[in-house]
Amino acid sequence: MFESLKSGIININMEETKNAVKKVIELGIDPLEAIEKGLSVGTKIIGEKFKKLEVFLPELIMAGDIFNEAMEILKPEIEAKKIKQAKKGNIVIGTVKGDIHKIGKDIVAMLLEISGYEVHNLGENISTSTFIDEAEKIGADFIGLSSLLTSTMPAQKDLIDALREKGIRSKYKVIVGGGPVTSEWTDEIGADGYAETAADAVTLIQKLH
Amino acid sequence: MFTIFDITERALNGPLCSEKDFDLKIFVPELRRVIKKYDIKYDPENPIPSDDDLADRIFKAGVELYSKVGTYCPDTERIIKFTDEEIDQALKLAPSRPVFGEGKEAKELISRKPESDIPPWCFIGAGGAAVSNMELFVSIMEAYGGFLSLANSITTPTIIEINGSLIRAGSPLEVMACIKSSALAREALRSSGRPGLPIMNSIATAVTDTAKIAGSQFGLRPSDGWLIGTSSELKVEFQRLNEIAYVSSLGGNIVAETAPILGGYCGGPEGVAVTNAAYHLNCIMTMQGSCQLSFPFHYSSNCTTTRDVLWAVSISSQAISRNSHFPFFILSYTASGPMTKMCFYEIAAAITTSVVSGASIEFGGVAKATAADFFTPMEPKFASEVAHSVVGLKRKDANVIVKRLLVKYEDQIINAPLGKKYKECWDIKAKSPLPEYIDLYEDVKKEISKCGLKFKY
Repeated sequence: MFESLKSGIININMEETKNAVKKVIELGIDPLEAIEKGLSVGTKIIGEKFKKLEVFLPELIMAGDIFNEAMEILKPEIEAKKIKQAKKGNIVIGTVKGDIHKIGKDIVAMLLEISGYEVHNLGENISTSTFIDEAEKIGADFIGLSSLLTSTMPAQKDLIDALREKGIRSKYKVIVGGGPVTSEWTDEIGADGYAETAADAVTLIQKLH
Repeated sequence: MFTIFDITERALNGPLCSEKDFDLKIFVPELRRVIKKYDIKYDPENPIPSDDDLADRIFKAGVELYSKVGTYCPDTERIIKFTDEEIDQALKLAPSRPVFGEGKEAKELISRKPESDIPPWCFIGAGGAAVSNMELFVSIMEAYGGFLSLANSITTPTIIEINGSLIRAGSPLEVMACIKSSALAREALRSSGRPGLPIMNSIATAVTDTAKIAGSQFGLRPSDGWLIGTSSELKVEFQRLNEIAYVSSLGGNIVAETAPILGGYCGGPEGVAVTNAAYHLNCIMTMQGSCQLSFPFHYSSNCTTTRDVLWAVSISSQAISRNSHFPFFILSYTASGPMTKMCFYEIAAAITTSVVSGASIEFGGVAKATAADFFTPMEPKFASEVAHSVVGLKRKDANVIVKRLLVKYEDQIINAPLGKKYKECWDIKAKSPLPEYIDLYEDVKKEISKCGLKFKY
């Protein structure tokens, strides 16, 4: 059964995965075990394949969609059995105001999602207040800010300043990324971390969490 | 040919579609279908293939892809679409010899073919990289005018500060910086003795349409190159269409920019190659270009010098140049920075690949064009020398050279050296490279000559 869950994700097969999840419920298998030994193994393998460019961004997105669909089916079961699901962390991520670059940020979001984090990808051209409101709403652990342009990088600083002014800076770890972002800039604005590549972003969050 | 009214009308009334559906239900499946249909396969052993049939199949695949997919407008969530007949007509009627520059610098941009004897147009400079202050901006621009004798046009850097404040996109600071950038760049070229040299990347500092149009009033000319970008993959925002409306009304030359991403929605090198060919149509029709400027790049290496990207650049350039008279450039970015041998290896590999495959060149970004001040006039000078030296070279011979160069740097791309900053490489007062950089440049030219590249300069 676990093999079907895993292969459903690896083969990007929604039907196979959904059937396997339904079988898990029918057979009374612990849903958390199904996630850990089946679905999460599949997403981890997809992530590794992406790093080696054996699969690409579309597969990452589709694997993420399948994983989320499977989780939706398992959710009532988890709630009914009152099982406490260990969460890795909640992340609000987006491209800052004035910047519409999407793909690099989406790759980070998908790699985090398939690594087991709850990711709220807000999109592009996102205002400081939207980031903060969403982080407050969902009780985020991390706020991830992407910027591909030198003239949109200051929006990363704006967010950190706004968190300070509101007295909520310590509630969130703020990580920054994007083409022109450097470790010097990260230190200058007081962010908690910076990642040069999408894979580095996952490692960074694992380290900070 | 289409007007901005036609394009806007299609953006407002074309098929309705969410962005995610455009990416995953239209673009990706259609791309994968045409890759399979036309049997397109990446060959890592030959970064510069000599397969005309493959090149022509890629062009057909690109045309078919564009016909099925079109260009997405995120502002209206609709697709700008064209019929096969319209695409066919557009290819026939596309500009073939746009003129850039003024006075004695005025020159026709001529489309080339693989292994062409026609020298490539050398559009060189900073590749839009960031410069930390105005003093350096002026020094760099003057150096471009005086030091880059093979330059046919110039690319200006991005300014990151004005009056001590960081520039913010969409703010008055951006508008003021764009005005200053245009004025200073034009004055620097005049004082270096080449006032007619075209600036071909509009205003690198501009993010918004407002700032680009406002800044252009203070120094850009219709005969410059007005760089306007398409978002990856095959998307155009209203801000860009606004710029097209302005430049078209001015009678200016639009340099239509595209950047298919390896690892993203394009997938692997095959997808990048086909998408680049599809972008060619997008640049003629939707973007109303006088030429295409493309920089296929690698999603994690953030450069254009990896083996798979070189292959995609080569075969898509061959595809386009064999099947269209609409001129195009390939823009290159290196992973390593100034004052490193690796940077020269990467430049030699990228420029050789582009030129023998039928492209003109823009160079470019070094050290991934990210950190401020990590570039000098030496790298574009070297790029233009390579470009002229490989004119007429056979693809199979160029392939051997590029493979030898790849051996020298390929395994260092992930941890490429950042190199040194402008002031550590360049004597601002003397307007020349520091002796250490000249020595490195001469050494590395001898070394690259041993790979088979015969320098003419």
